[in-house]
Amino acid sequence: MIQLDDVHYAYDGLYPALRGVSLEIDEGESIAIMGSNGAGKTTLLKHLNGLLRPQKGHVFLDGEDTSKYSVAQLSRQIGLVWQNPDHQLFLDSVEKEIVFGLKNLGYDEEEVSDRCDRTLERLGLTHLSHRSPFSLSGGERKRVALASVLAIEPRILALDEPTIGQDARQKERLAKMLDQMNEEGRTVIVVTHDIEFVIEHFPRTLAMSEGIIVADGKTEAVLSNPTIVERCSLAVPQMTIVAQGLHQLHPEVSPRLTQVNEIESELIRLAGGI
Amino acid sequence: MSFLEVFQYTRQDSVVHRLDPRSKLVMAIVLAMISLLFMNIVPLLILLSVLLPLIGLARSLQRWAKSMSGLSVLIVFIVIFNTLLSTVANPFSYSIALSLRLIALMSSFSLFFLTVHPDELSQALIQMGVKFEFAFAMSMAMRYVPTLGQEAYAIMDAQKARGVELDRGNILKRIRNIVPIIVPLIIVSIRRALSIAESMESRGFGACENRTYLEQLKFTRHDWALVLVSVVSFCFLVYVRFYLALPPWMSWGLPF
Repeated sequence: MIQLDDVHYAYDGLYPALRGVSLEIDEGESIAIMGSNGAGKTTLLKHLNGLLRPQKGHVFLDGEDTSKYSVAQLSRQIGLVWQNPDHQLFLDSVEKEIVFGLKNLGYDEEEVSDRCDRTLERLGLTHLSHRSPFSLSGGERKRVALASVLAIEPRILALDEPTIGQDARQKERLAKMLDQMNEEGRTVIVVTHDIEFVIEHFPRTLAMSEGIIVADGKTEAVLSNPTIVERCSLAVPQMTIVAQGLHQLHPEVSPRLTQVNEIESELIRLAGGI
Repeated sequence: MSFLEVFQYTRQDSVVHRLDPRSKLVMAIVLAMISLLFMNIVPLLILLSVLLPLIGLARSLQRWAKSMSGLSVLIVFIVIFNTLLSTVANPFSYSIALSLRLIALMSSFSLFFLTVHPDELSQALIQMGVKFEFAFAMSMAMRYVPTLGQEAYAIMDAQKARGVELDRGNILKRIRNIVPIIVPLIIVSIRRALSIAESMESRGFGACENRTYLEQLKFTRHDWALVLVSVVSFCFLVYVRFYLALPPWMSWGLPF
């Protein structure tokens, strides 16, 4: 559905951020983009809805070159949620903030209030709907920013660092919501450094470094690969560290496990079962 | 906005860069005042023929040329409107002189801002008796201008992704579209100012009553010479302007 073909982009024409990125994302996929700071992750996201246009190469949405469409047209299809919520909040109530995007895209009154209520409920913001976003905590503001994009109900949802500043409970809630969006058939793309979050919720991972895609595949295969982890300055998943330890004592245990339940069943097996 | 580039410090090593900021300030003010003394084409051209080599000495002619080409739209406006609307005798000649004056004024100050590092500027202010806190606040403000610019772009991106069409619609709509940009920009700036203040205080800003400075500015012979030349030529030109009549070739203007 989304297809990038050899996309190059350099800021001011001088500082290369993407050097030949090609990838394909299918409808309904759930995919994480990881990589060191400055690897080009955010630049990649900006190419999806046309905020940046490739200097070389093409971006296709449903087989059509996105260069034909404006950002506003593309943002109906692709919702981007940014790292810093303060960059988009400017109205004096949470509700207005959510309604703003919907009105821009020309939905009628009823549809607007319908979607607004639904989104508030979904993100647990209903009790805050009349508060000013500026009086909310960082985590809450972040959810308001998310809600304001989510309300548009885009087919593709792309989030830049959504877990920063969220406590474990909110993170769980966010994950659940993303899973739910994904089950509804939406495509979810997340840029994050949170490795355990990726392992638990995203079956596919892209690893980037210095403007190119170093690895693209099943999350467990990508994140348990020491070369990729090193190259993209990622952290080795905790469960992989455990697996590596077990592997030294019991060579039959794969050193590349990533999931808690895999380790759990290995341990149970080694302990002689229950 | 590219015409503002001429007011941005460029890190370079030139005779002009090495001068003391205070003497350069005197020179810039004198040059600017001279450009305000005369309203005829010839004297302003002579002034520009002094300014240009100076900018050349500061190795910034290219940047200057770029800025001036950015300014050309404004100059065209000035010329058109003044020629059409002005009530003076030779409106076209007058508006050409006006444009030359604008260029001379900008060039005079650009000579200062192109060659004085913000840190030097605040040090100069301190040595002229301004309190450190104020000088520091000023250099911080200058330091954060580009950051603010980047922030503005990030905010525009964020709002575009919510369907704000910044470059569409009539003037009223476009003005309204500024709100979603300006409000977050102000709030982000205030938030940042607060956190910078906190982080400065936690690193002991203002802990000592009497500060000492690593680098002190020194007036060299060159600086004294520059100040002397500036002041003397200023006095001379004021005398010429107010007590002598300009020779006819100096007050030459276009006939329309």
